[in-house]
Amino acid sequence: MEISTNDYRVWTEGSTIHYEGTMRLSGTDAYAPILEIMNSVLASKPDLITMDLTSLEFLNSSGINLLAKFTIEIRKQPDVGVRVLGSKSIPWQSKSLRNLQRLHPALELTIS
Amino acid sequence: MVEDFGETAARNSNAATRFCMTLMAEPLELSWHHSGATSDFIGEYFSRACGKDIDAIDARHSISYMLNEILENAIKFRHGGDIEIRSSLEAETFEIQIRNRIDPETARTFQAHLKTLLEREPGELLLERIEENALDPDSTGSGLGILTLMSDYGARLGWSFASERVSEGVELTTFASLRLS
Repeated sequence: MEISTNDYRVWTEGSTIHYEGTMRLSGTDAYAPILEIMNSVLASKPDLITMDLTSLEFLNSSGINLLAKFTIEIRKQPDVGVRVLGSKSIPWQSKSLRNLQRLHPALELTIS
Repeated sequence: MVEDFGETAARNSNAATRFCMTLMAEPLELSWHHSGATSDFIGEYFSRACGKDIDAIDARHSISYMLNEILENAIKFRHGGDIEIRSSLEAETFEIQIRNRIDPETARTFQAHLKTLLEREPGELLLERIEENALDPDSTGSGLGILTLMSDYGARLGWSFASERVSEGVELTTFASLRLS
């Protein structure tokens, strides 16, 4: 599954969700198709979901809400683990991704 | 009548590096993508003006994120008219003032929201708001822009609402500053 525009690309490989580019969509409705892709990975009930954000240069606060909402959905399913991969060279990730861990302490966050 | 919330005092002096621009309502047909393009431009502009002891990549990103969140709100809630942006950098302090018009009803709702917001610890409120958004399938906006700026970026924010005649709406000036490092 894949959504691709001039600004960003989101795609899945097994239970890994990859994000790339700049996502500054206008709100919950605009992010809905992306959430749908993410939810379809969760629906397959894998042992571990990986969100790979290492190529996501920019995300607005509505996009942070999307990641947070999905983290809460995963939290409801204790058998499904979650790992978030970030990059130190992308400033928003060191600033905002720790919020996901505060929402779901079992989430494994690696910013390297 | 003028009503102020939060920190509305400008910090930078007349000696600061300044950049001002107006996003004209016409003929631009101001829309969502102007927010990102403008924020990236101003982030790039000031990251090149920073001193050597400031991380230019972090500065470019932080300025761009802050401006984008405030401009997205300005574009979403504006009641016609232009959007004025005044930005300045002095030593490690970057600050902006963004002015636009909103309608009186939007102003009242926003003021009530600010009163609650300014009484609480932003990090705590951010998590609460995220949990509320997750429970409400009908919520269309996230309301996380201001909270992430305060909690994750340490931004100082203020809002000034000025109204003279009801028919003209309310002039909202958003003040925001960041300490770059």
